[in-house]
Amino acid sequence: MAQFLQQLVNGLSIGSIYALMAVGYSLVYSIMNFSNFAHGSVIMLGAYLGYYSMTLLGLPFWLAFIAAALGTALIAVVLERLAYKPLRDRKATFLYFIITAMGASIFIDNFVIATIGPTPKMFPAVFAQGPILFGKIALGRIDLAMFVISAICLAALIIFIDYTKMGKAIQATSFNMKASTLMGINTNMVIFIVFAIGGALAGIAGVLYGMKYQVFPQIGGITLKSFIAAVFGGLGSLPGALLGALVLGLVETLVSGYLSTQYRDLIAFLILITMLIVRPSGIMGKNAEDKA
Amino acid sequence: MLSVRDLHVSYGGIRALRGVSIDVHKGEIITIIGANGAGKSTLLNAISGILKPSQGEITFNGAPLKREPSKNVKLGICHVPEGRLVFANLTVKDNLALGAYLRTDRKKIASDLERVYELFPRIKERSSQIAGTLSGGEQQMLAMGRALMTDGDLVLMDEPSLGLAPILVHTVFQIIKEILRLGKTILLVEQNANMALKIADRAYVLEQGLIVKTGPAADIASDPAIRAAYLGSKSVAGG
Repeated sequence: MAQFLQQLVNGLSIGSIYALMAVGYSLVYSIMNFSNFAHGSVIMLGAYLGYYSMTLLGLPFWLAFIAAALGTALIAVVLERLAYKPLRDRKATFLYFIITAMGASIFIDNFVIATIGPTPKMFPAVFAQGPILFGKIALGRIDLAMFVISAICLAALIIFIDYTKMGKAIQATSFNMKASTLMGINTNMVIFIVFAIGGALAGIAGVLYGMKYQVFPQIGGITLKSFIAAVFGGLGSLPGALLGALVLGLVETLVSGYLSTQYRDLIAFLILITMLIVRPSGIMGKNAEDKA
Repeated sequence: MLSVRDLHVSYGGIRALRGVSIDVHKGEIITIIGANGAGKSTLLNAISGILKPSQGEITFNGAPLKREPSKNVKLGICHVPEGRLVFANLTVKDNLALGAYLRTDRKKIASDLERVYELFPRIKERSSQIAGTLSGGEQQMLAMGRALMTDGDLVLMDEPSLGLAPILVHTVFQIIKEILRLGKTILLVEQNANMALKIADRAYVLEQGLIVKTGPAADIASDPAIRAAYLGSKSVAGG
């Protein structure tokens, strides 16, 4: 029982950071109908921004989070302007967006390898060593931080989307862009906000990930797991992304704990493939009709 | 109020409008009738800015309209699109609130909301419901109410009776007359020419991207050629 609870706690922790990454995929998909595969690279840049904020600038860790979030929000917005806006202006189909996103991702990853180098970097120790014990359950301090920070960010995002005028405008635009412009909603503004939010959350996720593991140029590839979570939950759906991320986090840790870590990714992709066959729109995804 | 001059619109290799000119004066109901594919919706979409004309000009209260729908909303164009396009993922109340997205005059917004609820009591009853659960007729009313919340002076209506039961078609046309009484001007595109000509002041007949006839609605309705082409199955829907 204790072992199960332990896995549950670990699963929630990893699931929460998947969620932080997955909502970035989902937000962009909900408005623009394509999977922004450059999102992982933005997460990676966030990890580096956090790392250098602490090591070069000597900022305290909480300021490093803010610096990384602001930096990646800016990067995401600039990326949209440079890479996707020209496609939007030409009314390109989604395939061009996906290819452009992959190109941007390859460029960013290799740019980092060429300039900073491929060697992994360790964040300075932020949290005290040794887990916090709750009875028999041991909770790593960084895991706890991951869960708490992710939860706060996600709660803020949900409040923003559900209770503010701009949040409602984002939902309206995701449902039907044409109708939303007829209400006076500026699509460019909505896209700007969505990339800025997705980017900021990517930065925070990147720093958390870097603190738990290491900072290296291929972090973006690993965050593909969060993309699985977004697809599993239903691309374009925020609650779907959260649910998918938590389920994936739990499944991964349970598989690691009870079977073997070697099966972890196998099972993750198995879930993805099964979902795509059985229910391509995901648990809570919007179906094609909604976008007509 | 609205003046369209020599408007050409092409998309997907089709020349949908080939030199259309129309005028709409304040307080009028103008209807555009024509067959499916004649270019009626294209005309409305070009006016509101959804489609970009290749040639011609559109002026509203003397100033050229923008090529960006959200900017034209601010100028007073409100477009009830074909197929209603209500935000089915949001509540009825949220849909109406989004109509007032650009407005900041809270008091006027509140009184406009009351007016919309008076006009559409059914919508008021369902204000906390998700819009996707409404019936087709209710969605049409919500789409109209949402457009009214923009407080635009010129209401563009694209096939408001499409897909509705005959009894609802009648209601929708009654409501259009009431919207006129609120001080709005209406440009109505309809396949149901019978009903449209009954409530309109003037009409334009659009055929394959060209205006082929125009005049007072009563004259158009009694024109033998028009009767044969568009009013053939006389008064199925309410007359």
